[in-house]
Amino acid sequence: MRASLEHISVDFGPVKAVDDVSFGVAAGEIHAIVGENGAGKSTLMNVLFGLVRPNNGRILIDGDERVWNSPQDAIEAGLGMVHQHFMLQDDMTVLENIVLCSEPANALGFVNFTAARNRIRDGFSQHGISIDLNARVGDLGVGQRQIVEILKVLYRDARLIILDEPTAVLTPQEKDRLFAILHSFATDRRSIIIITHKLDEVMEVADRVSVMRGGRLVSSGSLLKTTKERMARDIVGGELPPPLRRSARAPGRVVLSVRDLRVKGHMPVGPLSLDVGAGEIVGIAGVSGNGQSELIQAITGLRRASGEIRLDGKRVDNMDVAGRRGAGMSYIPEDRQRTGLALGASVSENANAGRDDVGRFSKGPFLDRKAMADFARGLIDRYRIKAAGPRALASTLSGGNKQKLVVGRELSRSTPLVIAENPTWGVDIGAIELIHAELLRMRDAGHAILLVSTELDEILTLSDRIFVIYAGALSDEIPASSADRQKIGMLMTSRRTATKVEA
Amino acid sequence: MPPANMRGELTSWVITLAWIFAILFGLMLLVGAPFATALQGFVEGAFGGRRFGFLMATLSRATLIVGMALSAMLSFRAGLFNIGGEGQLVAGGLVSALVAIMLPGPPLLVLSAAIAAGMIAGAAWALLAGVLQLYVGVPLLVGSLLLNFPIRYIASYLVAHPFRDVQSGMVQSHLVPNAMWLPNFPGVRLDIGILFILAASIFAIVYSHTTLHGYRARLNGLSPDFARAVGLPVGRLTLQTLAMSGAIAGLVGAIAVFGIHHRYIDGMLVQPLYAWTGIIAVLLVGMIPWLVPSSGFFFAAVQTGAAGMERAAGVPKEIGLIMQAVIILFVASRVSGALLGGSRGQRDGDA
Repeated sequence: MRASLEHISVDFGPVKAVDDVSFGVAAGEIHAIVGENGAGKSTLMNVLFGLVRPNNGRILIDGDERVWNSPQDAIEAGLGMVHQHFMLQDDMTVLENIVLCSEPANALGFVNFTAARNRIRDGFSQHGISIDLNARVGDLGVGQRQIVEILKVLYRDARLIILDEPTAVLTPQEKDRLFAILHSFATDRRSIIIITHKLDEVMEVADRVSVMRGGRLVSSGSLLKTTKERMARDIVGGELPPPLRRSARAPGRVVLSVRDLRVKGHMPVGPLSLDVGAGEIVGIAGVSGNGQSELIQAITGLRRASGEIRLDGKRVDNMDVAGRRGAGMSYIPEDRQRTGLALGASVSENANAGRDDVGRFSKGPFLDRKAMADFARGLIDRYRIKAAGPRALASTLSGGNKQKLVVGRELSRSTPLVIAENPTWGVDIGAIELIHAELLRMRDAGHAILLVSTELDEILTLSDRIFVIYAGALSDEIPASSADRQKIGMLMTSRRTATKVEA
Repeated sequence: MPPANMRGELTSWVITLAWIFAILFGLMLLVGAPFATALQGFVEGAFGGRRFGFLMATLSRATLIVGMALSAMLSFRAGLFNIGGEGQLVAGGLVSALVAIMLPGPPLLVLSAAIAAGMIAGAAWALLAGVLQLYVGVPLLVGSLLLNFPIRYIASYLVAHPFRDVQSGMVQSHLVPNAMWLPNFPGVRLDIGILFILAASIFAIVYSHTTLHGYRARLNGLSPDFARAVGLPVGRLTLQTLAMSGAIAGLVGAIAVFGIHHRYIDGMLVQPLYAWTGIIAVLLVGMIPWLVPSSGFFFAAVQTGAAGMERAAGVPKEIGLIMQAVIILFVASRVSGALLGGSRGQRDGDA
């Protein structure tokens, strides 16, 4: 299918989310759209898929102008979209999920599952997909769920498939499998649009690439005519900062020591033991949902656990969250929307929450709003947070600036231990750069940092030592010097231990 | 706000009012009541009367509704769905009446002790719901609601049997000594109970906006996960906030006893739905503290106005209640929509 968007503009109130963008995708082409968060990629695709009505511009499908009243119109015209957050019913089987909303039903309403099964099987053999149709979706891993989403789109015989950040949750192996399927689709003359912020993947899978920045299309053309560096420059609109360098450094005293920790929960964890020393970053890689949050909540005191946790030699496992923070722990949570910030409160109110020096921003029972605002202004300057001011609501900040606020608040406490959980999830390149630099600066200043991330690149860039967490258990330690992407990828999906490195 | 929006706002208010009048008119046609008389009866019943007697009745009712609204607001802003205001109100009214009847001593001292006891009783009843949540695992929403019933029947039993004023022939306690009645303002039939609620309003507004405790409670209300993660003492905040909430409800109960009824009458705090009206009044203005008093007054005026309409135009009571509901629903659709729409803000850039 050939599709093009002509002079599309979308306004959200005074904000121009998409500004006069024209863009096309040819049949059998894999077209990557890259750009920072808020660059307008998702909005543009939502226009193409009928989720957002443009203020201006035309949508052409195979040369004919079309107007979508709802995504349903787009689906009927042969478009399909795989959203970043899966939209599946956990309690239904793979088959039921795939046929949902377009069931092959007869006049009486009975669903002919055999026909559906056969039709899906054809798709399997053609594109090399394998999945158990009778499995309950809730029991599947993320990689497999994504396959279900793709099968849903394929079942409706979509000729143009839009994928929004499809590799965010995949292991390297799962990503390879996905890209093979996408190539097979392209050979079948289906068109693919893939939204991503990982340039390596663009180089690997795309035929053409379009870069968006600030709602405008900055460049669009064949992959052969561009380079990774040029794309990166287009994305940020200027020169790139020099790559980070991790200086060699011998770790100091043990700051965090975890012994025989067991956590009950959806994903039981442990027993596991772990040390983090002063002046080192210990990275824990793994596919999300393998016990990372249970582990972190146990260490921070948000969840009950058994075992021994020592901070600077002092037992903290019987303390509450406030006690542990007071003993020298800071925590950058993964979910800035719910755990990292109170979005309905102002920047200043968020910045001052959890401060230990209560006396510095209160007088008796009353708040010292001025001292609070001054402190917030300090964070805004120091961490280059784009905010209208200390009184602006946290919800008005962009994702990257929200995260900088969380990171700034926690790092400014300058505690011996910092726990960072997916600290750059879904934020723009500028914010990633700043957060990584700050974490490294903390490390060089002798703080102990426990980094838990599902982004393998982040783990590899920052960590001195690496563990992989799978099904609640840690792999053997992998020194950063001998870390290998493929090997870690294997550990992320199986309970095999790493080959011991002889000391 | 740009002028275009302002005009839009005005237009939608006009449309809302038109709808209200249209439906009220239809209802009156249905029961054959004269529209103009009814309307006049409404305004008179809410704000008029000889020497503004009806306005005083509205204010007296507003006192109790605003008090209960403040009680609910303190809990709601802290993310605590304490809908047991009724039970806390009954506990406060009952205990303060009994203390006033039983305790010997100089009236002013006994009155102070009785009001304090009422506030403590209300706080204790709210704390019970909090303890059930924190230590037994009963969700506050359920626990606080269910606790309304036992206290209601405990109160009914006490004034029906041990403390009953048998001579009166009603299910009610004896009168509290005359010297403890809250005096009226000079020249009008309105007791000074409203001053207590005025003070409580000021306290609630100051507390919510300027104190460390109010700030922390609000953070917990906005995002409990956040409050826990930054190490706020969530359990303690919960109990303290509930105690405050319950104490205000208890105070309202005491005001009803010493200012209005001068005794505890079975059902006197439950039937007029003060607690529930208070909850609606808070939700109507999106829990914004300084708007709560006017919201409570609005609800009181709608109720007394409807009563006036019944008297003046012979509108049946049931139709009057339907009219109240119509007015409240339409105003709620306007006010809450505008408030929430304004405070919701922008979504995360991630989306």
